[in-house]
Amino acid sequence: MSTAMAINFGYFMKESAVSFRRNWVMSLGAIITIYLSLLLVGVSLGSGMLLGQVVESFEDKVSIRLFLKDGAPAEQVDAMQAELLANEMVDTVVYTSKEQALEDFKQRLMQDSPEVIESLASNPLPASLDIDLKDPRNVSMVVEQIKASQNFLAVADRPDDPAKSLEYGQEVVEKLFTVTRIIRLVSIVFVGMLAVISLIFINNAIRIAIYARRKEIAIMRLVGASNWFIRTPFLLEGVLQSLVGALLAIGTLSILYFYILPKLSELMAFLPLTMSGGDAAQVSLVLVVSGIVMGVGGAMLAMRRYLRV
Amino acid sequence: MISMRNVSKIYVPNKPPALDDCTVEIEQGEFVFLVGHSGSGKSTFIRLLLRELLPTKGQIVVAGQDLTRMKSWKVPFLRRNIGCVFQDFKLLPNKTTYENIAFALEVIGRSKHVIRTQVPEVLRLVGLEEKMESYPDELSGGEQQRVSIARAFVNRPPLLLADEPTGNLDPATSLGIMSLLNRINKTGTTVLVATHDREMVDSMRKRVIALEGGKVIRDQDRGVYGYGD
Repeated sequence: MSTAMAINFGYFMKESAVSFRRNWVMSLGAIITIYLSLLLVGVSLGSGMLLGQVVESFEDKVSIRLFLKDGAPAEQVDAMQAELLANEMVDTVVYTSKEQALEDFKQRLMQDSPEVIESLASNPLPASLDIDLKDPRNVSMVVEQIKASQNFLAVADRPDDPAKSLEYGQEVVEKLFTVTRIIRLVSIVFVGMLAVISLIFINNAIRIAIYARRKEIAIMRLVGASNWFIRTPFLLEGVLQSLVGALLAIGTLSILYFYILPKLSELMAFLPLTMSGGDAAQVSLVLVVSGIVMGVGGAMLAMRRYLRV
Repeated sequence: MISMRNVSKIYVPNKPPALDDCTVEIEQGEFVFLVGHSGSGKSTFIRLLLRELLPTKGQIVVAGQDLTRMKSWKVPFLRRNIGCVFQDFKLLPNKTTYENIAFALEVIGRSKHVIRTQVPEVLRLVGLEEKMESYPDELSGGEQQRVSIARAFVNRPPLLLADEPTGNLDPATSLGIMSLLNRINKTGTTVLVATHDREMVDSMRKRVIALEGGKVIRDQDRGVYGYGD
């Protein structure tokens, strides 16, 4: 049995190679379309991962900062804090005093010229409550609740226009969400179209392979070759084509990953544009698997229509 | 070996059937001619036995297996028990005599060892051991038909079907082919030959089943091609 299997395997490989030589133009067409569609799948997967990281890093920064007026009574600030903590959408509330705010400011922005700060006669920065949320997407809801709160009016830095006493990054996040949604949608549509085109190309390549071997197939049917024996070379050919396409796509993506991504990440140091080797391997795996699925699918399509066994 | 009961085959509804209520029994080891004009249903008869077609009505049993109820994945295994020879030889032009016959064994998963012993043996049987390395276009029609018979017989099937095996050959060559089929029949293989070669049928004096318009009009042992025509 094992020798028979070995013979079969050799036979199948030989058949696929011969068939590739015989109609390499169609095979090349199939390979290129698979390559392009898998490349796009890879690029959109990878950029999706990067964008996800960017969005996440922004989300981390989305906290609500409630500025307190100078000399706000401590018990009212405590009441405000307690009210916020009672809100189930709120994760943590941290009080930052005027002195702390100045210190942070110095640390963050004026490291190179501390004398600017030293020269200030009084501390212009307000104290604040820094509110972190369990889910950053609830920002606007929490903000509305704060605005409606009596405690807030009592402690707000600018009672004339309380909205100005709140600072939060909602718009940035919402824009990012919209951008990622659009990118995702567009790439899904493109990948879908390319997948269909790839299927058509594989289907055509296999159809021609079947046509080229119709005499052999007729004889195989006649002498009782089993259905899978007749089909396997074509299936293998489809898989081979899509695997070559997948490997080319992975090669191209590797260039992007090893040479372009580090440059990009250097250029935009403020964004977390890095991808772990594990994630990259995952993308490659997805490409190989979807390539095989397309290859098998295209070959099956062709066999259903053109190969009567 | 072959049992057909009330078999009809209708290709196009409301047109005359290709086979009409045929009942035929062929025992193991028989040599049978199937005769009739073109369009009398001979090819349909053969294709039904190979289960390339299913009958519209009736039951067909070949080598103990009911073809009308056979699962389609089992069909290849049925065909391994049926050798098949055609008028146009159906040889692969890019393969030598040896390779053409070996191909038939290769694709049903026979081992290299089996192929190396059985192919020369069957080539000796058909008298072509000298032409092992020749390509089909280097062979005469008669020799090509011998290769095709060798390929049909290499797997030692219990049943050999031949559809107009001498249709493209001159009378002398045809005689050689028929005596080869006769020799194969002597080994115990059931042989069914569809033909309209009158002289051949008349000279061989085998069982003759005559078809006309899809009906069995005559079935006689040691028969001849026909009377009037």
